Amino acid sequence: MIDVFSYVPAIVLLPFFSFLVALGAGKYLPKGGAFGGIAATAGSFLLSLWVLATVAGGQAANRTIYTWASAGGIGPTDVELTFGILVDPLSALMLVIVTLVALLVHVFSLGYMNDEGETGLPRYYAGLGLFTASMLGFVVADNLLMAFMFFELVGLCSYLLIGFHFREPGPPSAAKKAFLVTRFGDYFFLIGVVAVLATFGTAQFAGPESFPALAEAGEVAWTPGGLAVDTWFTIVGLLVLGGVVGKSAQFPLHTWLPDAMEGPTPVSALIHAATMVAAGVYLVARMYGFYALSPTALAVIAFIGGFTALFAATMGVVKDELKQVLAYSTISQYGYMMLALGAGGYVAAVFHLTTHAFFKALLFLGAGSVIIAMHHNEDMWDMGGLKSKLPVTYYTFLAGSLALAGIFPFAGFWSKDEILYEALVHAPGEPLLFGGYLMGLLAVPVTAFYTFRMVFLTFHGEPRSATARDPEPVRWNVKGPLTVLGSLAVVTGVINMVPVQKVLGIEGIDVLHRWLDNEWGGIEGLSSHHYADLGPYSSEYLVGGEVGTVLVGAAVSLGLALAGLGLAWRLYGVPSPTEHTAKLGGIKDVLYNNYYLDELQVWLAYRTEDVAGVANVFDQGIIDGVVNGVSSVSLFGGNRIRRLQSGVVSQYTALLTLGLVALVLVLGVTGGWFL
Amino acid sequence: MTAVAASIPPSWYLLLAATVFCIGLLGVLTRRSALYFLMSVELMMNAANINFVAFALYYGDLTGQVFALFVIALAAAEVAIGIGIILVLYRNFGVTDVTVPTEMRW
Repeated sequence: MIDVFSYVPAIVLLPFFSFLVALGAGKYLPKGGAFGGIAATAGSFLLSLWVLATVAGGQAANRTIYTWASAGGIGPTDVELTFGILVDPLSALMLVIVTLVALLVHVFSLGYMNDEGETGLPRYYAGLGLFTASMLGFVVADNLLMAFMFFELVGLCSYLLIGFHFREPGPPSAAKKAFLVTRFGDYFFLIGVVAVLATFGTAQFAGPESFPALAEAGEVAWTPGGLAVDTWFTIVGLLVLGGVVGKSAQFPLHTWLPDAMEGPTPVSALIHAATMVAAGVYLVARMYGFYALSPTALAVIAFIGGFTALFAATMGVVKDELKQVLAYSTISQYGYMMLALGAGGYVAAVFHLTTHAFFKALLFLGAGSVIIAMHHNEDMWDMGGLKSKLPVTYYTFLAGSLALAGIFPFAGFWSKDEILYEALVHAPGEPLLFGGYLMGLLAVPVTAFYTFRMVFLTFHGEPRSATARDPEPVRWNVKGPLTVLGSLAVVTGVINMVPVQKVLGIEGIDVLHRWLDNEWGGIEGLSSHHYADLGPYSSEYLVGGEVGTVLVGAAVSLGLALAGLGLAWRLYGVPSPTEHTAKLGGIKDVLYNNYYLDELQVWLAYRTEDVAGVANVFDQGIIDGVVNGVSSVSLFGGNRIRRLQSGVVSQYTALLTLGLVALVLVLGVTGGWFL
Repeated sequence: MTAVAASIPPSWYLLLAATVFCIGLLGVLTRRSALYFLMSVELMMNAANINFVAFALYYGDLTGQVFALFVIALAAAEVAIGIGIILVLYRNFGVTDVTVPTEMRW
């Protein structure tokens, strides 16, 4: 049967072909293979739109394409390891986001990489293509193991792209750090995958035989040592969460992300908005039916999320470099998404993932535009006054900043407000969740403050350096993507106007809620209503019923955001702003040094050196010893046996004759000729 | 004539063929000169011919005799090629001793 879902693998394969083309023939192509990448991502984007339209028409797909291993043995049941596609409202939406952002990033790269005369462009475009392909493969994955494979590929690509400028000292070490820190989380994820396979005998996400469905029905084939099923589910959920915490840069594995700013800016946009970091949150949303069964896991997710949101926001306050501020804002915003997931706000998390993808891609590309204009100087204290020189960049960046700060009516306001609302109404009786909510709320003014500190320092006031007085102009390939994303950052909120619906009573404008609730069709068991039924939470309205809570919640978060914005305006919205960090006293140093977490991790690494030493001995001695032993035995044997090849014909004849005689004797004895 | 030949049991022919074959094989194994090789191989082929003809007689079937003719033709061709090889050998090494050229060893 040929239908639109038969083309879903093509969405993944098109960027992969652009990777192959850029890698193999990039140096012979104009622009280092950029057009191949643009064509491929544009094709994927169009196909994704088609898929989205088809899903809106009431169809969905959950298909196994290829079974690459099938065996009994690791669990009590037979296990099949497969590749397949799962297209439902969630993955269709994500496909569109990823392909759109990837397309815009490719176009922007023409301005940021090609026009700036970078070398090694084929390698760059190959990396972008593979990165996009891996993320798309991850999005359509229909089982946990396939998701894990593409998850790892995404990590590999981030390593390749962050270390793009490998001749400088910073990027290679940042790339290694990103790879190792996320690998550390993925290690737990891998154990989680094996645990899921052993427990349920399947790793499928959807369908009656999927692991969330089996978990819901309590059909467990195996638990370790007869552990209680609920406890074991929590443990498995937390193991998989390890990978999520690593990739989505949650505390305490967030340390790689600020360093990842060493990569080219379009890559940062891709990593932060649509690919690597989004993968973690998307994974939790994908298997939300499993997490919803474990109140403990949900509470942990909510608390980690809320804590990360506040924690990262405070560090963003003192940074001097444009991209560093954005890096911490990313960590903080993904904290919000985790808070939403933990609070049972599945739709709110997906909503924030969507709006954040647009406004964060916008902010990074805007930062890229500023960096082009500033001749690759990222220090905000050397900028200022760019507003009149770069009007397109300024207004789009401003739209993104208002969205990030959560100011009405920009996209970020709606999604952040819904997250806080979900956390608030589910919080009574859940201390961890309530803690997460409070921290999320506290992070709102901090977010608004650092966002507008960044805007004021960069664009307002008097120029503070010669480059800022005469910045380099940017071309259409920079302005185009910024304009598209700028419009999206303003209007994306309309897809889910829940507060307006609740207050004014207009039905049907919570499109995203209805979309994820399979109202247009989807796959049984993967709807937001189903998740809400599974989840442990019940809603309690604090003041004035539902409408009152909505209004109060929105007013409080908007008020806090405006307060942060106002403070930033007071301190930095002046013609020649100065540093105010000295007022923070001792806290300043702590914030500058990121709470000394990098030092802590290095210290921990040294403490655990002995473990690594033992592992090294095992690896070098036993594993390598076996491999080397096998090879040296065959080398030695071959050396001796080849002496038979003497070159004397008579010896060959003699051997042939002896062989024939021996053969006849053996056949004769076993065949019974001599009896 | 045919009656006399047919009255001899087939095992005698086989014994004769085996003896001739072994003489040929012994020649190949012990001699060093390539010319002796050619002659010994001729003996071995003719041992096979004896078997062909003997079985053809025994079963009253002409196929074996036809094959014997083929083998004779093949033996002639083999000698032609063999002598060519020996000539090249002699030209390159100055001898016809097959144990001298050992260039094709490991």
